[in-house]
Amino acid sequence: MPNQNGSIYGLSILSPIIDDPSVNPSHDLQIREILATLSTGAESPFAIAPGTHMARFVVLDDVIFVGYPSVEEHLQSKYLILESNLDGDLDTYLRGLIAAAPQQLDAIYNHCVGYPGSSNPRAFVDYMKSCQLETTFLFAAVNDKSLPETLRALQTQRAVSDFIVTHQGTEPARLQSEFAQFAAKLKSLPIPKPASTTMHRELKIGGRNE
Amino acid sequence: MSKLNETDIQGFVLRGYNLPFARYVFLHFEDAARARKLIGSLLPLITTGQRWDNGKPQSTVNIAFTHRGLCALELPEATLLSFPVEFQQGMKHRAGILGDTGHNAPEQWDELWHHNRVHAWLGVNAQSPEALEARCAALRSLLTETSGATILASQDAAAVMENGKPTSREHFGYTDGFGNPDYLGISRSTQPGQGKLMPDGTWAPLATGELLLGYADEAGELPVSPLPYLLANNGSFMVYRKLHQNVATFRKYLNDLSTQYSGGKEKLAAKFIGRWRDGTPLELSPDHPAPSIVEDPNRNTNFTYGADPEGTSCPIGAHIRRTHPRDAFGFNGKLIDRRRITRRGLPYGPPALEDQPASDADDRGIIFMVLNASISRQFEFVQQQWIEYGNDARQGNDKDMLLGNHGGHGKFVIQGDTTETNPPFVCAHLPNFVELRGGDYFFLPSITALGMIAMGLVDPR
Amino acid sequence: MSNINGKVYAMSAVTPMKPWKTIIVRAIFFLLWNLKFLQKDLRDLSFIEFARWVIVPAGKFPHLAASQKQENLKNDYMFFFSNFNGTWNQYIDAFSAVLASGLNLVWRWSDKFPGSVPVTPFKQYIDRVQFTTDYYYTSYPHATANDLKSAHIVQASFDSLAAQAETSSPEQFAAAYRKFVLEVQAHLGDTGQAPIVF
Repeated sequence: MPNQNGSIYGLSILSPIIDDPSVNPSHDLQIREILATLSTGAESPFAIAPGTHMARFVVLDDVIFVGYPSVEEHLQSKYLILESNLDGDLDTYLRGLIAAAPQQLDAIYNHCVGYPGSSNPRAFVDYMKSCQLETTFLFAAVNDKSLPETLRALQTQRAVSDFIVTHQGTEPARLQSEFAQFAAKLKSLPIPKPASTTMHRELKIGGRNE
Repeated sequence: MSKLNETDIQGFVLRGYNLPFARYVFLHFEDAARARKLIGSLLPLITTGQRWDNGKPQSTVNIAFTHRGLCALELPEATLLSFPVEFQQGMKHRAGILGDTGHNAPEQWDELWHHNRVHAWLGVNAQSPEALEARCAALRSLLTETSGATILASQDAAAVMENGKPTSREHFGYTDGFGNPDYLGISRSTQPGQGKLMPDGTWAPLATGELLLGYADEAGELPVSPLPYLLANNGSFMVYRKLHQNVATFRKYLNDLSTQYSGGKEKLAAKFIGRWRDGTPLELSPDHPAPSIVEDPNRNTNFTYGADPEGTSCPIGAHIRRTHPRDAFGFNGKLIDRRRITRRGLPYGPPALEDQPASDADDRGIIFMVLNASISRQFEFVQQQWIEYGNDARQGNDKDMLLGNHGGHGKFVIQGDTTETNPPFVCAHLPNFVELRGGDYFFLPSITALGMIAMGLVDPR
Repeated sequence: MSNINGKVYAMSAVTPMKPWKTIIVRAIFFLLWNLKFLQKDLRDLSFIEFARWVIVPAGKFPHLAASQKQENLKNDYMFFFSNFNGTWNQYIDAFSAVLASGLNLVWRWSDKFPGSVPVTPFKQYIDRVQFTTDYYYTSYPHATANDLKSAHIVQASFDSLAAQAETSSPEQFAAAYRKFVLEVQAHLGDTGQAPIVF
């Protein structure tokens, strides 16, 4: 099942961009401009909507002529590529995306042929699927952990590392009680938001040095 | 492969001279014509790679140039532009890439490096202080005669002496100088562990082109080189870094932490580096130093990490494991063959005797020089990815314990096992044990290339 | 408009193939998919987070409306999208050094592919066929593939330890904690900023 590797789904979308010489700047240039300023952090549509591990947009101007004796040929349209590595079911993902960021998606996809807009989720899903390519081969380093599990694990790793450092040589009774407190606090922390790059360590872990 | 013409290659590239006294003189060229004349006069004095089968000379001389120096010598534009980008920019410009920030930032460097005036490095090595002075005096006369250059500054360095004999110890007390790579056609004898690992577990010399320009390298081609070929051939690139050592900080940190570490102080010191302070590799002798191993060239660097994936003998982030991973990344060690560097250098400053107090303010440290065919692919890569960062070693952002630019943060994890004297142990709040005080990137031309430069006969094509 | 986000690099490349060669590449990918041991080297080169190939036959570029001109292509096109850690040079050096035959197997069918060894002409070819990524998003910019794997190990061990923290005596817990530290001791690297690209 090439679109899927374990729990990871590889979405490959190739959307034709409207070719209209009367529009200035052209539709593909406008897409480029939007993409250049779109947030890649916690405000990104992919951060707000659930399930995206990693995603990219590429404006495909043309195919590449690698040189004689390869045949020189050109695309009639430009295309917007979306490559996304996501959790779970495609329909749910696409619905999540259009619900979370309708304005941003409209701004980008209004420049594409046949885009139905964001008001009808079913139409949006059908549109995206009509541009979907079959992923021929998908590789994932970790293919059995969801995004929330991953974000939680990263948070745990950092907190555990801090705990181990500050509890080196702590005697058993104190170690146990402080660990119990630590574990409870860690469990109660919310899952970190995707693409948040704040470096602060949220957890006060007790131990000798605090 | 072609036979090396050792008389065309500067000796400093091919060998560590093992001469215990050195002075590195930094020159500035005021006038291209006079500078070229100076180089012409120096040419017969430059020590080549010719073997010393009749005994060591009293002193040696070698010369290298920064890109600014080559510009000052008025090499053709097209040639100057064909040098690698990192060499053109110089080490100061690459500070961000190398992690030379904070305590190691160029603003903290010695005055010598502040104004981009260093054009050339003259390396003088000698058997004795007297021989060193004599040679330097002769060189100074030559400089005066030709008015070819001004001396910006000199840096003395010397092996740490014990009972009047040179040792290979540095100021933190570690025995240094193991594991320089073997190269095809250069090393007369090879030591197991120094070359590249073969699929059958033996060691073979690295391709010559990993050190010398103009020869096939480990990627199956001639390394990218400046033009023309004759200028680059038999040459190499050198990185010069003056590393100040905070001996007081190191001793205090080691002493303080040893009280918590059940393996004891010497073992803790060994875990930082991957070798006991006498040089015994932890992989070969995890519990105690072993002089018999250290003294045997067939053993003292002959090991791999395959049997120690968890780092219980030698920690995963220990210095030598980071800088020469051997088989630690799998694929029989093939991933690291193009990341090897040749190290030269000597300590500088007054020796820090074990039983005497030492201050961080004392001017002592190590003059660290690296020779490689590609500064960016070899030195810069190791510095950025393996010393100031740890992802390849699966240690995330954790830095090299001893050399890392910690700034009081960061940690070093010593992996352990259930043995009482080998527990898991974390060293945290790491200070800067070592601080960068200056340096740059240099090109060491062949004797032929020096002649071309001296005569102003370099054509770009 | 950057190929880089935190510690991940987005490489996007498109190569042309004569259609009869596409069948061969598909067969190769089929084998690669079903014979998992062939993927071992890819996994062991632990700096790829996600990677994919997408073959688009000449006639299969999406055509959605009459107003859109029809494509008229002779070549099939193979898209390659990689999300990897480390520098561009390091990535290609590594593949060229240890996975050359695998690379060749996939790309020799693309026009003018020079082979993955030696590495310099290979890098020049990649320069020619690589696209700039217009927008690159990752949910965990400060973590590499290695960090992710380590994090999951730590999470699993932590969950185990937490489960018994309440019910054991201090000595039992101390022993369990020691065992826990041994399990995670190689997996505690900090996450954070990537080194500057060069």
